[in-house]
Amino acid sequence: MASIAANDALPVPAAAPAAGEGLRSRRLVLSHFWLAFAAFLIACVLGAWQMWARSPLDAPAHTASNYFRSVTLHGVAMAYVLSTFFIMGFGYFVAETALGRPLKWLKAGWWGFWIGVVGVLMAALAVISGKASVLYTFYPPMTATPWFYIGLVLVVVGSWIWCGVMIAEMSFWKRDNPGQAVPLAMFATVANAVMWLWTTVGVAAELLFQVIPASLGWTQMVDVGLSRTLFSWTLHAIVYFWLFPAYIAFYTMAPREAGGRLFSDTMGRLSFILFLLYSLPVGMHHLFMDPEHSSGFKFLQMVLTAFVSVPTLLTVFTIAASLEIAGRMRGGKGLFGWVAALPWKNPMTLATGLAFVMLFFGGGGGLINMSYGMNAMIHNTSWVTAHFHLIFGGTVVIMYFAIAYAIWPSLTGREFASLKRVRWQLWLWFIGMMVMTIPWHGLGLEGQWRRVAAFDYTDPIIATWGPWVIVSLIGGMILLVSAVLLIWNLLPAGLGRRTVQVYRYAEAVHPPGRVPAALNGFALWNVLVAVLMLAAYGWPIAQFFADPPPQAVIHHMDRGID
Amino acid sequence: MNVGDPIEQSALDRRWRLWASAAVGGILVVGAVIGMLVLPNFQRENAALDLWTAICRAVGITEGSPAYRQPITTAQALPVSQVAWDPDVLDILANANPQQGAQIAAQVCVACHGENGVSSVLEYPSLAGQSSAAIYKQLSDYRSGARVHELMTPYAAQLTVPQLASVSVYYGRFAQQATGLGGRDLPGDDYIVKLAREGDSARALPACDSCHVPGAGGPIETPVLTGQNLQYLAAQLRAYKTGDRQNDVYRRMRDISEKLTEQEIDGLARYYRGVLF
Repeated sequence: MASIAANDALPVPAAAPAAGEGLRSRRLVLSHFWLAFAAFLIACVLGAWQMWARSPLDAPAHTASNYFRSVTLHGVAMAYVLSTFFIMGFGYFVAETALGRPLKWLKAGWWGFWIGVVGVLMAALAVISGKASVLYTFYPPMTATPWFYIGLVLVVVGSWIWCGVMIAEMSFWKRDNPGQAVPLAMFATVANAVMWLWTTVGVAAELLFQVIPASLGWTQMVDVGLSRTLFSWTLHAIVYFWLFPAYIAFYTMAPREAGGRLFSDTMGRLSFILFLLYSLPVGMHHLFMDPEHSSGFKFLQMVLTAFVSVPTLLTVFTIAASLEIAGRMRGGKGLFGWVAALPWKNPMTLATGLAFVMLFFGGGGGLINMSYGMNAMIHNTSWVTAHFHLIFGGTVVIMYFAIAYAIWPSLTGREFASLKRVRWQLWLWFIGMMVMTIPWHGLGLEGQWRRVAAFDYTDPIIATWGPWVIVSLIGGMILLVSAVLLIWNLLPAGLGRRTVQVYRYAEAVHPPGRVPAALNGFALWNVLVAVLMLAAYGWPIAQFFADPPPQAVIHHMDRGID
Repeated sequence: MNVGDPIEQSALDRRWRLWASAAVGGILVVGAVIGMLVLPNFQRENAALDLWTAICRAVGITEGSPAYRQPITTAQALPVSQVAWDPDVLDILANANPQQGAQIAAQVCVACHGENGVSSVLEYPSLAGQSSAAIYKQLSDYRSGARVHELMTPYAAQLTVPQLASVSVYYGRFAQQATGLGGRDLPGDDYIVKLAREGDSARALPACDSCHVPGAGGPIETPVLTGQNLQYLAAQLRAYKTGDRQNDVYRRMRDISEKLTEQEIDGLARYYRGVLF
């Protein structure tokens, strides 16, 4: 049987929770996943329409206000709903399965979920009403209706509850298992929770002290430099928040699913710690073209950004080594023979391979974005849009699919009806993403700007972009087909016979025994993050208070200035 | 990594603390030294700065660019409108007294602009549906002479700025009732609808709706067009086209109107005409 996951149908051990209904957090995890994927499907439809609207072909209902409404909903659904709810759901799953015991704070998880749901509905209705077409980034002086911001704050509050549950579950486990190494999947999940708490400080300060008072009409002016700086605090680390599940899957799922072992557990811990350290003090690379900061701090944050590539390179090395172990265990020989010997029919293995290809292109583009000098060439062009679609929409989201496919049988108690359809879905996502983003990169280099509702194709230069935008549109359509396939695969209609499975994570070649406190908790790293943040953001934020610049008049999207 | 002995374990933990802090601190210091000392030193010559100033600029303590003082133009700007949306003006509007506005309106405005801001004289604009900022801008322009009308100019000149603001806020209150009309689909022939909603990129004409519907994101003084009187709208577009009216900031409306044909002006005015109540 081409088993989904090397996740054997095991006899249920007496002590372990029985699969399916045995998993106490089962309903909680599934609720999170379904909300995430429902938002994802809607966002895919909007995304495909947006590509159509930007192309030389006549798109239905194409007006500027519809376009920005659509882009806002697409961004909010993908960046805040899909990501946050997927990460929370996966976190609860990891906490129960990796620690091998039921969640103590399950009820808090449900509170977080419902607070988040209320927030999503508020924000979504605000956007649909047309009173919040401000994109998913919070850049005043343009402000939306307060419902939009308050809704998103509720989503963040829900995610803070998740962080609390994750940190608490790990602490309880450590108390009960003194001296033991926290399982890598859980260690990484808590690293993400800790990072997310740090991450949200910036945007929370911006929303609570600047944007929400502005949108409520309590203030009439806003310091946009300060807003942009606070948002940059969040803006890059949030991407790593989204990325963590993909890396957790690389380290703790893919090696086993490919039939091998994780090459190094320590390398995994180090990578996750490096993400925690170097995701945060780097956000100013989004502000290289902004006038409110000095070159010295921009350069410093560029240097720190460069170190974000270290955990990625560590990961590529470790996972390639782990897969090589798997390939050789499966009889692969020679320099590259092990690659062919890998079980490419296994969705997780396939997704990991495809994710690495997209990471190669997306990561390369990212190195250009973060370079102070080269950034000027591609700033605010389609290149940037292409980059984050390739990395988040490509590498990360394809691993979200792979994770869902891997754990679905243990959540639903059913196998997939057709693994072929699962593989088709993954391949189509990969092909669609490459077809959409490669021309986008090229157009960005030619100067095609982002965040516009339409192009004037009567201009002879812009006319030459037309065919490539149509190619991207075809990519977008392929992605939409893949998104529909995903939902079909996950719905009961896409599932087959009953199964009893307990999800098991990859074991390391050398399983960790007792590890240094630094690799088993976050006390030291929190101190170092604080130092880095103080150094990187201390003066850049303090300057707005030491020497207040002129402020901008708030522009309400939802009304006049009354 | 089996380190059972507690003493050994704590020694290991200490080593981790030390080396991790050293590595993170080291990277931080190297980045700061290059960005804030070395690069300014190499770059200062081109900017004719001494080292200390260059460093202060790189750190962001001293004002940055341009290092060379730019020549200041001696040309005098001729603003088309005296209204600047600074905190003072916003405060005046925020603190205006609508009751006072109602009294002034009852004495002066209602005869032409109607009690609810709906004008029965088609040459005069309806005020319902407009934000107080939009009304204030036009009243201020009449007062300063930036816009001229045989009736409005003397009326506006008699009022003080707080009085103008109170009238603006009074009529601005009808905006909410009329706002719902802004987003509706208006009937019209296809060409005009497209012009209004999408513009004509070949002639560099932006869509009217990109600024003139509530919440479109245009300048805050932009009037809403939906429901405006046909004759008034057509007359204003023609006044911009001929240059008789010049209080549009950055010539936006003059530039646009100059490109519109007579048929398009009539078509757009018909398109945006509507019955408010």
